[in-house]
Amino acid sequence: MKVFFATDIHGSETCWRKFLNAAAFYKADMVILGGDVTGKVMVPIVSLRPGHWEVTFGGQRVQMDTEAELDSIKRKIRDRGYYPAVMSGDELDSLNAEDGSVDRRFTQEMTKGLEAWLDMADGKLRGGEIPCILNGGNDDIWEIDDIIERSPSVSFAESKVLDIGGFYLASMGWTNPTPWNTFREAPEDVLAAKIDAVVSSIPDMSRAVFNFHAPPYGTGLDEAPALDENMRPMHGGAVMKPVGSTAVKAAIQKYQPILSVHGHIHESKGVLRLGRTLTMNPGSSYSDGVLQGAVLDLNEKKGKVTRYILVNG
Amino acid sequence: MTAGALGEERPTLFLRNATGLVRGWSVRDSMIYATLSTNVVTLGMVEWTVQSSFPHGNLLYSILLSGVWVSFLVVAYTGLVTTIPRAGGDYVWQSRILGSGIGFVMAATGWWFILWLWAPIYGAVLSEEFFQPIFATLGTQSQAAWFTTSNGKFVVTLITIALAGLLVSVGMAGYARVQKWCFYGGLLGVLVLVILLLASSHANFIASFNTETHKLFGLNGAYQQVNASAATAGYVAPTFFGGTFGQSLLLVPFMMFYLLWPNWGTTLYGEIRGASDFRRVFSGMFIGLWTTVALSVVFLLLFAKTFGWAFYLNINAGQNAVSKAVLPIFPYPVMMAAWLVHDSAFQVIVILLMSLWFFGWVGTLFLSSTRVIFAAAFDRVLPDAAAQVSEKRRVPVASLVLMLLPAVGFGALYAYNATFASYTLDATLVIAVTYLFSAIAVVILPLRKPDLWFASPASKVKLLGVPVVPVAGVVTIGLLVFNLYEWLSNDAYVVNKHGSLIYMGAMYVLAIVIYVAARIIRARQGIDLGLINKEIPVE
Repeated sequence: MKVFFATDIHGSETCWRKFLNAAAFYKADMVILGGDVTGKVMVPIVSLRPGHWEVTFGGQRVQMDTEAELDSIKRKIRDRGYYPAVMSGDELDSLNAEDGSVDRRFTQEMTKGLEAWLDMADGKLRGGEIPCILNGGNDDIWEIDDIIERSPSVSFAESKVLDIGGFYLASMGWTNPTPWNTFREAPEDVLAAKIDAVVSSIPDMSRAVFNFHAPPYGTGLDEAPALDENMRPMHGGAVMKPVGSTAVKAAIQKYQPILSVHGHIHESKGVLRLGRTLTMNPGSSYSDGVLQGAVLDLNEKKGKVTRYILVNG
Repeated sequence: MTAGALGEERPTLFLRNATGLVRGWSVRDSMIYATLSTNVVTLGMVEWTVQSSFPHGNLLYSILLSGVWVSFLVVAYTGLVTTIPRAGGDYVWQSRILGSGIGFVMAATGWWFILWLWAPIYGAVLSEEFFQPIFATLGTQSQAAWFTTSNGKFVVTLITIALAGLLVSVGMAGYARVQKWCFYGGLLGVLVLVILLLASSHANFIASFNTETHKLFGLNGAYQQVNASAATAGYVAPTFFGGTFGQSLLLVPFMMFYLLWPNWGTTLYGEIRGASDFRRVFSGMFIGLWTTVALSVVFLLLFAKTFGWAFYLNINAGQNAVSKAVLPIFPYPVMMAAWLVHDSAFQVIVILLMSLWFFGWVGTLFLSSTRVIFAAAFDRVLPDAAAQVSEKRRVPVASLVLMLLPAVGFGALYAYNATFASYTLDATLVIAVTYLFSAIAVVILPLRKPDLWFASPASKVKLLGVPVVPVAGVVTIGLLVFNLYEWLSNDAYVVNKHGSLIYMGAMYVLAIVIYVAARIIRARQGIDLGLINKEIPVE
């Protein structure tokens, strides 16, 4: 069985479209997206008067005078992983002024965007003929869970064990704490308990596959630039430090699945073996519109990963 | 649809709280990195000794010309960094824009294989600017002289390799702090040197030089001997502002040995970017480059004032084997300036302070090589074992072996084979070839990746409506092609010798063989390496 795994596309519509095409492109039997589906940036498009809008994007102020121009700029914004939010000047001012209004609008745009993506998936994945698995990541809001769960064309894997052609995929989008205090974060001991709870329902550990958003600590799959107190990279970004999860590492070492796939740390693309477990983080270049991923051959008879390659699709 | 300038009061985007949203790079940090890379003390002062290869060449003009020309390279690389801000630099850009094969061959040769040669070059610098002057100043001439022998050079190379290898093993965290303090300590050394040279007269220097060389080496009238030796050899030093433009231009390929590296830190840039990033990334490299150029000009002016310009060029001519050398050790300007104060302790302190320019930089010697080896292993071009690290101590054993063992071999060649040692500029040439392909990549970027390009802050930087970055790429190609042409056609640079060409050619052949072998072996294993950078259709 050939599986395509990608992660951390952060709202990039280009990457989502590529993800949906990846099964055909790599001749994969199944596609898995390992969390952090939603974007981080919202770009306000101000409605000046009926039929006329204005936006500042990519360092330039652009005025649009037709619906076609508006659609074109919205597409460009979405391709970058940003959310285009059309609003009046008054709405923009109130977003600035009212507490929590930016978060509410963000949530609205993220859920709307995800629903549009899932509609897109239905056509691309031949109505569910190609299995597509999604789970959350630490940056994903809670509201996405129900939306994905309801989708007929994708399977929501968060905190579940799914049977994928003779292998058991255990998924979890939670991570150890980050400096940004994001949605799905927990201290290491809590994380360890969550992992154990999920993994306990795997019937055969020799056929287990872990899909945990957080990479294992100190493995090279988790190296991010060290930041100072002002969240600025230290020493010109030359100093990296491990920021992965000790609970994830301990779980891999304890349960020894055949494969463990991760994301979260975009710059830390890599592969290593932890005991018998092939462990990898394909990294992410979502903002370039490049879908980094892993093409994996899982041999059901041998019960192992026979081939893999990390790709920049 | 119309586009206008920036400058509105309302917010133009909203960021939510999410992983990885950090503030931009510090210009100061990247400036320090760029200044240490274009190292005026360890590389500049060594390379200034070659002026006599083109006796009518003006050192000052060649440095200024190089600075202007390399500034275009800074613009071109800023364009690449802000458009594809990925750790891995040249390897990532070339792989994505020009193809995996070119990316691997250029990265393997320019960021890995040629670093084997940089190890003994750094060893030679450590010998010339640290061990030799320290031991000479302490009056232990036999020890100082030992470091000029083949054994001495080899041992220092081993020390350099061990130091760089150790830092790869223990990580950059502690070293980065050391590096910053080395920079500030080095600047203090520069300040001491500047005051010393400003406060002393030319007559003082002649007297001090003769006194110290008599005391340390038993020479009589060494200052006069240096000038006489040059005259005997028929070498006539140009005046400070004299010389010809043509020969000054021919000194530029020599100056690349130290001025071509303001972009050395670009392999480190991560994914952070924004409209202001172009200016920030550019400023770090540009200020770093021009800090080095400014320090070069200050040093040369002070050498001219206090040493005497003709004397400085004459003593370098001796080092360059154009005339007979009078000093038995490298004519390190820092040491000669320190002799103005007749106190060994003071002299040693000045040399130690200036050695911080070496120790602040040497640790990064193998840093980029490890990254290229890891990237190639993750791309399945190298065996998986090449990227393995020991679980307990996180030491990249295999990649260390791939770097250190050949470096030791080349260190031995460099120390014991005078012909091989003359191929020093190969170290610059091979990296320049890698840069050339990145410059080509930046020029064709708007055509090969139009969406990426137009979304990039780099595409908005225009002069008279013309995008600056691709134009800078063309000028950079001009710079590099000029240098490559001169290196390969002009005997004065020594790199076009038969053995040198075979050595460099062998590196490219080795990289190509590794890549082709990997393609074949992986294909047999059912893995198509051609897929690595093949783009998935969007629609």
